[in-house]
Amino acid sequence: MNWQKFFTAFMAAFIFLFVFGFLWYGTLMRGAHEEVQALFRTKPDFPWLILGHIVMAFFFTTLCVRFVPAGGLGASATLGILVGLVYAGPHLISFAVQPLTTKILCGWIVGAVIQFAIAGAIVGAIYKPAHPRPVRS
Amino acid sequence: MKRFIIAFIAAYIFMFLWGWLLNGVLLKDVYAETPNLWRSQSEMMSLFHWIIIGQALVIFAFVMIYACGFAGGGAAAGIRLGILLEIAAIGMRLAIYAVQPFPGKLIVYGSVSGLIEMVIVGAIVGAIYKPASARTS
Repeated sequence: MNWQKFFTAFMAAFIFLFVFGFLWYGTLMRGAHEEVQALFRTKPDFPWLILGHIVMAFFFTTLCVRFVPAGGLGASATLGILVGLVYAGPHLISFAVQPLTTKILCGWIVGAVIQFAIAGAIVGAIYKPAHPRPVRS
Repeated sequence: MKRFIIAFIAAYIFMFLWGWLLNGVLLKDVYAETPNLWRSQSEMMSLFHWIIIGQALVIFAFVMIYACGFAGGGAAAGIRLGILLEIAAIGMRLAIYAVQPFPGKLIVYGSVSGLIEMVIVGAIVGAIYKPASARTS
């Protein structure tokens, strides 16, 4: 494990996930969220929001580094898309049990896939193993 | 392909039953504390197909990650994948808790049960699906 590169990739993933979240969910989707105000806090609880993104970024980076050990933008972005789909499933379930609008559902699903695809590409572009392991065929 | 389908069906059946036991039976009283956040029972039933599709998407993407060879092979690799995905999902849950007024205990119960769920899903998928080629050892 190349710890220096890992830390850089983790920091980049954290910054990207947080900024993308702010832009996509907090700004672009603000109007959609305001249609169902009762489901949301009046102001985000920032310590939890930051901690959540740190945990997400750290373990997503670990996932990419562990499962795409040779690094690389394409493979990590593919893994990111699949991870985004894993997290899109619960949004569908939330739609069935919470009075969310279809606009919110679509926004959350598209957001999750784009967010993790780009985060995967970032981690893949930054992380390079100290001693690359041969790819098993 | 055959093993992919068997792994998908086995993991899906487990997730469906686990979800029903947890959310429909064990956590029923916790959900009842915040009725304004949830759809009525009849509405949920009319949208039940979204729960089925959402769970199927989670399992499909999970098996795809596994089948693409990202995780390696065997039950242990499946469990590792489940743990990493779920801990990153706990980060996402914390971020959701920051913006939606869920009771804290619902986040704790959901995270603990989610971890157990994904460990078992990983073990099922890893035990059934044998990737033809793994990218990592």
